[in-house]
Amino acid sequence: MLKQVISKFQASFPAPAVYAHCDGPCGVYDPSSARVAAEAVVAMTKKILDLQPPAPGDKAATVAYNNTLSRYIAIKEEQAQLAKEELLILWTDYFKPVHLEQFPDLHTTFWKAAKLCSACKVEVSPQHATELMEAIQKIHGIFWATKSREIPWYTAS
Amino acid sequence: MFPVSPPQQLRLSQGLDLILWLLARRRRLRVVGESMMPLLQPGEEVLVDPNSYRRHPPQPGDLVVASHPHQPGLELIKWVVYGQGDLYFIAGINLGASTDSRSFGLVSRAHLLGRVVCRFP
Repeated sequence: MLKQVISKFQASFPAPAVYAHCDGPCGVYDPSSARVAAEAVVAMTKKILDLQPPAPGDKAATVAYNNTLSRYIAIKEEQAQLAKEELLILWTDYFKPVHLEQFPDLHTTFWKAAKLCSACKVEVSPQHATELMEAIQKIHGIFWATKSREIPWYTAS
Repeated sequence: MFPVSPPQQLRLSQGLDLILWLLARRRRLRVVGESMMPLLQPGEEVLVDPNSYRRHPPQPGDLVVASHPHQPGLELIKWVVYGQGDLYFIAGINLGASTDSRSFGLVSRAHLLGRVVCRFP
């Protein structure tokens, strides 16, 4: 009863703000943007490997094949680059020296993840695409641990 | 990282706290931002004793409301790490998401506007 009265009061008369302040644009970082891009890389890698080449001499099928393959490659290239950029933003803008004390392998983790983005661009490698997802999952864990929040890992696909 | 640990707990209010608040001896404030997590989540409310530091000096480990030394009117919630004469080093609990004495330096006692005594309600 008293609790209800108090919560009604709080809703009707909001208290003035006191700032648990941070100069940076806190809260706008989230490793999920890198995760979505990496998922696209995984999907495109799989589609490229699954694509059946056309029968020899079938011109229309060859055109369609080349077009589809080129699109898959272009998207893989673009999304791997995007994943890399998203990771570098997290690494250089969000993470601070205090986080490095907490997670001494932070730099190595990001460096390896960025290199996996490059490998996924150059190659058609399900192994490296999977390793990229694993690296981003690790970064997801580190990121939310620094914010003292438990956000479960999930994927869109 | 600091010689003193940040405050781990903040008690709930009791009848006396609410009476003092009704008598305008406590200020009710709502936390905005993440620098005091996990102790204080954004949106939680606290009661502050604005006269506390007229009676005795701030102690390391106190939760405080301070005015930002370079942004007049901006009231911060932090904790006191240590005092040095009339100057105090204040910090957030969530150091990865806090702007505090690590960037703006020590703050004078006059900048410490009150001690956070409990949650509200």
